[in-house]
Amino acid sequence: MPRDPKYDILFEPIQIGPKTMKNRFYQIPHCNGFGSEKPLNQAHFRAMKAEGGYAAVCTEYCSIHPESDDTHRVSARLWDDDDIKNLGLMCDMLHEHGALAAAELWYGGPHAPCMETRCVPRAPSQIPSDFEHLTYPKEMDKDDIREVQGFYVEAAKRAREAGFDIVYVYGSHSYLPQQFLTPYYNRRTDEYGGSLENRARFWRETIEQVKEAVGDDCAIAVRMSTDMFMGEAGTQLERDCLPFVELVDEIVDVWDINVSGISEWGEDATPSRFYESGRLLPWQKAVKGVSKKPVLGVGRFTSPDLMVEAINDGALDIIATCRPSISDPFLPKKIDEGRLDDIRECIGCNICISRWEIGGPPLICTQNATAGEEYRRGWHPEKFEKAANADNDVLIVGAGPAGMECARVLGERGMRRVHLVEGQDDMGGIMRWIPQFPGLGEWARVVNYRKIQIDKLKNVEFIPNTKLDAEGVKNYGAEIVIVATGGYWATDGLNGCTHDTIPGADASQAWCATPEQIMAEGKSTGDKVLIVDNDGYFTGVSLAEKLAEEGKQVTLMTHLGHIAPYMHFTLEAPNMHRKLHKLKVEIVTYQIPTEIKEGNVTSAHVYDEEHLTEWGVDSVVLVTQRRSNEALYRELKDSVGIDALVSEGITGFYRIGDCVAPRLVADCVFDGHRLAREIDSDNPEVPLPFKRERHVIEREAVLA
Amino acid sequence: MKVLVCVKQVAVLGDEVEFTDDERDVDPDYLDFALNEWDSYATEEALRLVEAAGSGEVVVVSVGDEDMEDGMRRCLAMGADRGIRVEAEGRLDPIQVARALAEVVQSESPDLVFAGVQSSDSVQAATGNALAGLLDLPSVAVVTKIDLGDGKATVNRELEGGLVDVVEVDTPAVITIQTGINEPRYATLRAIKQAEEKEIDMRQAGDLGEPGSRVRKMFVPPKGEGAEMLDGGAAEVAQRIKEIVQEKTA
Repeated sequence: MPRDPKYDILFEPIQIGPKTMKNRFYQIPHCNGFGSEKPLNQAHFRAMKAEGGYAAVCTEYCSIHPESDDTHRVSARLWDDDDIKNLGLMCDMLHEHGALAAAELWYGGPHAPCMETRCVPRAPSQIPSDFEHLTYPKEMDKDDIREVQGFYVEAAKRAREAGFDIVYVYGSHSYLPQQFLTPYYNRRTDEYGGSLENRARFWRETIEQVKEAVGDDCAIAVRMSTDMFMGEAGTQLERDCLPFVELVDEIVDVWDINVSGISEWGEDATPSRFYESGRLLPWQKAVKGVSKKPVLGVGRFTSPDLMVEAINDGALDIIATCRPSISDPFLPKKIDEGRLDDIRECIGCNICISRWEIGGPPLICTQNATAGEEYRRGWHPEKFEKAANADNDVLIVGAGPAGMECARVLGERGMRRVHLVEGQDDMGGIMRWIPQFPGLGEWARVVNYRKIQIDKLKNVEFIPNTKLDAEGVKNYGAEIVIVATGGYWATDGLNGCTHDTIPGADASQAWCATPEQIMAEGKSTGDKVLIVDNDGYFTGVSLAEKLAEEGKQVTLMTHLGHIAPYMHFTLEAPNMHRKLHKLKVEIVTYQIPTEIKEGNVTSAHVYDEEHLTEWGVDSVVLVTQRRSNEALYRELKDSVGIDALVSEGITGFYRIGDCVAPRLVADCVFDGHRLAREIDSDNPEVPLPFKRERHVIEREAVLA
Repeated sequence: MKVLVCVKQVAVLGDEVEFTDDERDVDPDYLDFALNEWDSYATEEALRLVEAAGSGEVVVVSVGDEDMEDGMRRCLAMGADRGIRVEAEGRLDPIQVARALAEVVQSESPDLVFAGVQSSDSVQAATGNALAGLLDLPSVAVVTKIDLGDGKATVNRELEGGLVDVVEVDTPAVITIQTGINEPRYATLRAIKQAEEKEIDMRQAGDLGEPGSRVRKMFVPPKGEGAEMLDGGAAEVAQRIKEIVQEKTA
């Protein structure tokens, strides 16, 4: 289907400095865990977006010098000639697809703890980082300023040599240039501190020097946070940013505009729980109002209508995407080809970001199981090889995230028939009720995308309202059986703290409930509720929010030092804390129940077991741990037996998702995808080895 | 107990449509095909009646080319015992289809003949009634419930406005089945494989005569005037819709 003409504006070329983008789609800098030291993974990951239609694709933050070493987190680096070689591959592969390559030159100041290089970062003032504990910078004198500006120039030259078309002087997220601009970081009294002109001086001079060095060959991009939401201390739009734009607009080729500092950068990389797409548009529009140069920016755009609106409304010239480009690298191409219902929309869960915050592992995506697997597993998000055993029929029992993804990919791989059989009346599994939590509506995209795709696949049939027992599976007539029956929340308080049940905990009682009993089965609670959360992610806090909003008096108890610690990684924590505080949810940490009775809970302090506390409550909700729903799998394997299955013609028998072990939804989608990709391997149960990008030594040469 | 079910593999439109050069049909390149939704309910109802009777057979009948057999195989996988396809090519109208079916009904002498209320592609709702007319059998259309008695059946007939007409009809009769009368069963993979082995008897059509209607031209209807696009957020749009409804119903 051809492109809808109303989206034509998204495909108009645009000039930025000496370079031209072929359309308006830009992949904003974002981390992937590959940096400069896994160059093949890096290049293939970025090139997939270029293949998918992006006109320009950027590195993650790219360190200009060993003093800006973010280890344990992984940044790209342009420290020396070998880094030029490694990142050059990414440039070459982007260029092959007609895309521009961008490098986000970065100096972190105190936020970069230099754990690998053991350097001392420099900063405008000697104040420890508000992001990285126990990291003190050296306060810069004028020589330091000249020297660090020199680092930028040298790195820019290396970027040009590597083949980059766009070079950033990156400030946003409270990195060095923005630290100079911001009173919160800059307490100087010399000509680099105080007045706006002084606070802007470092950034202005650095842009001038980089422009002078590479500006004839490369477009100069400046990424600025236009509001830190910190009052007088933070950068402010009217007071600081618009005057700064006017000051340096002449020497900047493209503006990259966002908001927030580093310690609450969820205000920029907004979780869908708190913000809709396009949340940054007012700030971007304000900058566009004073700048004569193209403005780009993110907004978790997945809807082409919103993209067009952002351009027509004068807020943006270039549509930058980060998370939507991970979720679907082919977003531009699908809009271009009129295939809007094939777009795999980002759900804004920030699982991708959590990996950077954890510090190092390659990114993952709930929606796109192929993200980060382009090189090491050779997976292409849109291309599927016909399976060698495609003449087989497949039965998948359970249409949750793993089962749906497995059915979709097996359908794409051309299996003769795939039957996705589900006991409920619709697909989704746990993702039917999780999106019912406050703010998580967009998470339903996990189900919606797959439903639409499965509906299009003629060889995949969805069969609802059908509960199969072991006999039913055995006699179903499939050659390959995949059990994807999910998991459930423990009803007896079994938990990862005591590795035991909680005496008295029993969700079969009216006053005691599990999350799915409340969300999927409609079990009600009394007015005074105690939630026991030993899980530490979204379930406990979401239930607390929901029940408190319903007017209940909620106590949220965890054995951990924080509630929902994983939400720090997904950037949801600050606003989640604000919300629960406003709702007057009582937060109790370092406590584990020792006994639960109707009307009363006794808990102990985890570091002082003799210190007991009594809690009078009407209801208890057990968010203690999940368990695999493996009854069907066990019956087939242990009671019916593999031999009996084989004699019925079942040559492949596997399980996926929470049914193996309860995990993140992203991991369940991956598990279903992985099995389908490898359904014709020698032993599909065991993942094929992936390519490990590492330095392999020549022993003899080393010893010689 | 023998029930004959008339089924059709219908054309399903995609997002885009092109017409054939003579502008009298949709270009088949733009079509998918599937079993007519009503016919799966009719098949299910027939299976239930035969299962309740304890013995008998369900025979599915289609009129058309070999592509019709895909839909028939689905019915056979659900549990129908055998199929009969009357070979015919090209576009037939409901009267001609009914003439072809009438010959089969006469040769099979079933206790009941089912058809779907209508096909989702042509939506003429005529074949079942035409068949009854040709055979001079009693017929009831748009049926949502069947209680089988001895030589007769009590059936619920769906009327406009949610009304139900309960009528008694002598059997054999032709009954057109409405969706929702039951929950059609799904076929297991084994049943689908077994259905591939079931017999579909191919017969040649006799003289199907002249059609009762002809297609002169197919076209996309021109866009009408006067649509009002409502802008704004959900609350504003809802408010405006409320006002419009109030204006129109005042």
